[in-house]
Amino acid sequence: MTKEQILQAFQNKFQGKIEEIPFVGVDVAFKVEKDSILKVCRFAKETSELSFDLLASMTCVDYIDRLEIVYNLFSFTHRHKIAIKTTLPRDGESDSVTPIWNAANWHEREIAELFGMKFKNHPDPRPILLPEDWEGGFPMRKDWEGKDFVRLPKK
Amino acid sequence: MSDYPKNKFPIDEFPTDETDGTDKNKPSNLFNLLGKDADTIAVTGGSEEFIVNMGPQHPSTHGVCRLLLRMDGEVIVDLVPIVGYLHRALEKIAENRTYLQFIPYTDRIDYVTAMICNHGFCMALEKLAGIQVPERAEYIRVIMDELNRIASHLIWLGTFALDLGAITPFLYCFREREKILDLFEMTCGQRMTFNYMRVGGVSRDLPEQFIPLAKEFVEYFKPRVDEYEYILTQNPIFLGRTKGVGILPQKTAIDYSVTGPNLRATGLKWDLRKEEPYSIYDRFEFDIPTGTNSDTWDRYMVRIQEMRQANRIVEQALNSIPEGEIKTKTPAVFKPPAGEVYVRVESTRGEMGFFIVSKGDTIPYRVKLRTASFSNLAVLPEMVRGWKIADLVVIFASLDVIMPDVDR
Repeated sequence: MTKEQILQAFQNKFQGKIEEIPFVGVDVAFKVEKDSILKVCRFAKETSELSFDLLASMTCVDYIDRLEIVYNLFSFTHRHKIAIKTTLPRDGESDSVTPIWNAANWHEREIAELFGMKFKNHPDPRPILLPEDWEGGFPMRKDWEGKDFVRLPKK
Repeated sequence: MSDYPKNKFPIDEFPTDETDGTDKNKPSNLFNLLGKDADTIAVTGGSEEFIVNMGPQHPSTHGVCRLLLRMDGEVIVDLVPIVGYLHRALEKIAENRTYLQFIPYTDRIDYVTAMICNHGFCMALEKLAGIQVPERAEYIRVIMDELNRIASHLIWLGTFALDLGAITPFLYCFREREKILDLFEMTCGQRMTFNYMRVGGVSRDLPEQFIPLAKEFVEYFKPRVDEYEYILTQNPIFLGRTKGVGILPQKTAIDYSVTGPNLRATGLKWDLRKEEPYSIYDRFEFDIPTGTNSDTWDRYMVRIQEMRQANRIVEQALNSIPEGEIKTKTPAVFKPPAGEVYVRVESTRGEMGFFIVSKGDTIPYRVKLRTASFSNLAVLPEMVRGWKIADLVVIFASLDVIMPDVDR
């Protein structure tokens, strides 16, 4: 499938919800609404022409007014790679994709802990990287202040 | 020291029997991770099931990793890995440094394959800014990457054999690794954390003696792999400990995003250097070794053969390296255009990805480090159920997990 065909497949299934965005290093990237992320991911994995079986990476970016979750998917059968983005408010809640790819389990734990959002229906919502008794807030947020943290001065 | 506040040392806070007067056998909350009935097991004591804590400091965890095991007699019922002891917040540091200042930090992601981490990060920036790398620099990068791959696999092989109780391979492996480190030291002054690659090339040219010495190493190394194989591959004790142990089905591996040699051992022929050639890997001839049974022995065999293939690539690159520039001229203040990029390279342990969000500034807005060990460790509980503790040590070692790579 070409780049256009991949995008078309998603657009046909989820009409009006897919918005293409620029992204270097992947075949195609698009944004979806937070409510349909679980359906889009399931469609991406279970449709045989797409079959994105590898969740290569999953991460979050803080834009102060919102959080963006980025899924990097890859298909071993068809050698496509795409990126899916979804936006949610800080302190928001997004659907966990762990039922689709088990790999998301640890990634989601990491994101939830460092960015302070929640994943709905996550099987094991414990912190992962920070100490057990951590009370310093959500360190990956842009406005985080820590005792020993010195920000690079603005020019 | 007498006025040092009490409870300052973590050991003071460790739950003891005195913490609550009523239930002396109540385990700490952490043990409840292993299932709701973990309490009951410890209190009643009637069952054979019990909980074993392994780590954080344990010789076989190759770093600081804690494993909580629920045992039925000698058999592992369940396992929970507890990570994060080496979390250095590299992603946060990246947001507070310029792009070029972050290159030395990439060495520390996976200190055993620092060259490949350097390479991946520089490649992501080059892709974002559309910078071409000179031919000679690409060759140097490939030579360094592959030498580093051999060095990393040697560390793995040595410690893997050590975990099995064989001490000799460890000494042999470090003997060869020393020669590779000498080559690195000669080139960039460092033996482990190189900070060698730059956006648009490498920091300095190869010294004059490098190519003859590297060629000498390639010839020297070829029979050495046979030597390791002679000690291990058909050794009955080794076979007994590894053949059929810790099988990882291909479906589970993909589900957990396991990549690299662990995935190839399941029989899937997938190597980014071949299937999605970056740098100049498409110019070299090499094979992708794969396994069939996906057991510990296959993972061992894949890495052994990968060392031979890496050596082959180094040999070809050394024979065809052109003269010329080693670095494209880039402005002293590096500012990539605004945009987002995801670039992945084949690290020794699997797919190493760099996701960078740039706002057109000298400082990255966000850097995500996708490391192979993070996903490779997550699959461990699936592999050890039903095996014994002694097998856990072998299975864990065969995954080739590096803890700084997990915790970042």
